[in-house]
Amino acid sequence: MDIFGDLLMGLSVAITPINILYLLAGAMVGMIVGVIPGFGPSAGLAILLPMTFGMDPIGAIMMLAAIYYGAMYGGTITSILLNTPGESATVASTFDGFPLAKKGRAGPALVMQAVASFVGGTVGVIMITVLAPLFAQVSRSFGPPEYFLLALMGMLTLIVMIGQHWKLGLISAMIGFALGTVGVDLETGQGRYTFGSAELIGGIYFIPIAIGLFGLGELFYAFYKGLHKTGTGGIVQYDKEERFWPTAKDWISTRWTMARHSVLGFVVGVIPGAGATIASLMAYSTERSISKTPEKFGKGEMAGLVAPETANNAASSGAMIPLLTLGIPGSASTAVLLAAFLLWGLRPGPLFMEQNPELAWGLIASMYLGNMALLAISIFAIPLFVQLIKVPYRVLGPTVVVICTLGTFSVNASFVETYLMFAAGIIGFFMRLYGFSPAALVLALVLGPLAEEALRQTLTISRGSFMIFVERPASLWIIGVTIALLVLLPLLNQVGKSAGQAEKAGS
Amino acid sequence: MRIAFLFVVLAGAVYYTSVAFLDLSFLSRTGRLGPGFFPRIVGVAAIAMTIWVIVDALREGRAPDDESSTWGDVLMLMALAVAYAVLLRLFGGLIATVIYLGLTLSLLNRGHHRQNAVLSIAIPGAVYLLFDRLLNANMPPALFDMPF
Repeated sequence: MDIFGDLLMGLSVAITPINILYLLAGAMVGMIVGVIPGFGPSAGLAILLPMTFGMDPIGAIMMLAAIYYGAMYGGTITSILLNTPGESATVASTFDGFPLAKKGRAGPALVMQAVASFVGGTVGVIMITVLAPLFAQVSRSFGPPEYFLLALMGMLTLIVMIGQHWKLGLISAMIGFALGTVGVDLETGQGRYTFGSAELIGGIYFIPIAIGLFGLGELFYAFYKGLHKTGTGGIVQYDKEERFWPTAKDWISTRWTMARHSVLGFVVGVIPGAGATIASLMAYSTERSISKTPEKFGKGEMAGLVAPETANNAASSGAMIPLLTLGIPGSASTAVLLAAFLLWGLRPGPLFMEQNPELAWGLIASMYLGNMALLAISIFAIPLFVQLIKVPYRVLGPTVVVICTLGTFSVNASFVETYLMFAAGIIGFFMRLYGFSPAALVLALVLGPLAEEALRQTLTISRGSFMIFVERPASLWIIGVTIALLVLLPLLNQVGKSAGQAEKAGS
Repeated sequence: MRIAFLFVVLAGAVYYTSVAFLDLSFLSRTGRLGPGFFPRIVGVAAIAMTIWVIVDALREGRAPDDESSTWGDVLMLMALAVAYAVLLRLFGGLIATVIYLGLTLSLLNRGHHRQNAVLSIAIPGAVYLLFDRLLNANMPPALFDMPF
């Protein structure tokens, strides 16, 4: 079947009343998660994953994906109105978003960010539609050596992107790998690190760790940063402005900005470890460097808001490519999504689209619908989100603790897992505080068992020789790409960081 | 504090590695790679990296402790979360959540007695409806029989 036919089939799967309801609920929840400072898509996905267990797999995956890309839409509202990014991927949106709001143009800024997000997200989904089958076709020749190298590539690129704290990132990954070895060894049946506990025979469950690290850990860190003491007094009153809708000049001046950064954001998103934050900072930096009026950037230039917004949404679509076609997540959020797939008994990879066409194409088709829904929600539900921003963190915090706790318990009705979640929360706080990377830990926890299995299979095939990695053309290609990324990514990281620093110095 | 945390990580890594070397075999009975193969690599790498970071940290000298006034609030929130875990075991999901929210909000959201009281009842009620009724998910049961 051709791509168009596959997509139509996906649409027929996605467009059912119950799936549309799940999609809208996911989009709405994703926006809410994005609006709350300190919580990103990974926290939202981890906390809400247990709530999808009563649903059918297609509806659940559609809803979780909507939470994932919906968070990118929501994070910008606080960037524009409060100068506080909802998450790291919307930091670049504060550079011109908040100055626009201070100039009395909050309404047009909110509408343009929604449109830019929609364009970035939709172009991203179009590129997934075209490229995902090609990626899947290429990766069909992959065997255990290639899978081990891909898992290694995912980890290494994430650690390289951490920058100066890369050693702490590596230790975080080792902790994740170590946790991944707990449980019965599937090849020999021997227990590892179970200490006689029946609860640990099946291994350390991913959900309590992810909820603890991203939910509780981030919450404790937000309290440490004093978010519960800051009010929302500085919020811009957009409803008192004369004009809510953008002018014709806003549309015309940013049309190519959207086109450029949709592609750039998608490409950066496909690279494991790079992600939406780097994409948005790079887009801002690139846009300013090619602008005829760079001096206006940081003072309320619409292109300075549109560029990072388009890029971060396109990047979140791009990150779905390695997840769907290789089964390798490139970020913490996609690691949580992979865990969701695995919980449903689905194994993303080269054969995923062939073996589960309804689910794969249903998910892709739902992303078109989800972006349309998010465009409408993010324009017409702004008053609702403004009310949410006004809820003080000191009230929101305890509520998040309750949802994390009951969500964890609801999965397996296990008190041990609930206590594990609390422990992960406290450890996650100290990890954030001292520069460790909870994202690397979670990614390693998901990739660890896959990497170990692939490595042991590889060395069994090669009778213990590591030369197998350089004897196979596909492996050599992956090694080459990994080396290229390890050289290039620090440079991309530097471009993004220098854009952020220049903006901080300027403001 | 940072160095203390690193030493805790090192202790964990040393223990993990010792189990990998002492209890888990490198090769299986059939001569294939055994259950100890991967943990040994991970453990040794974790020890080496942690020692490297500790040496770096000691060379840099003692960083001034953050005298952030929010430490008290974080520790209080952590202690309350742990207390919530205990309450859950004793009183079950609904009652424990009412007690936890009542206590936490009265400490964090001081002076708003009416708002705190309403939230302490409304949030557990909404969460109960969502989990127990709408999603048909498990709620923690009480250790003792409760009248509801």
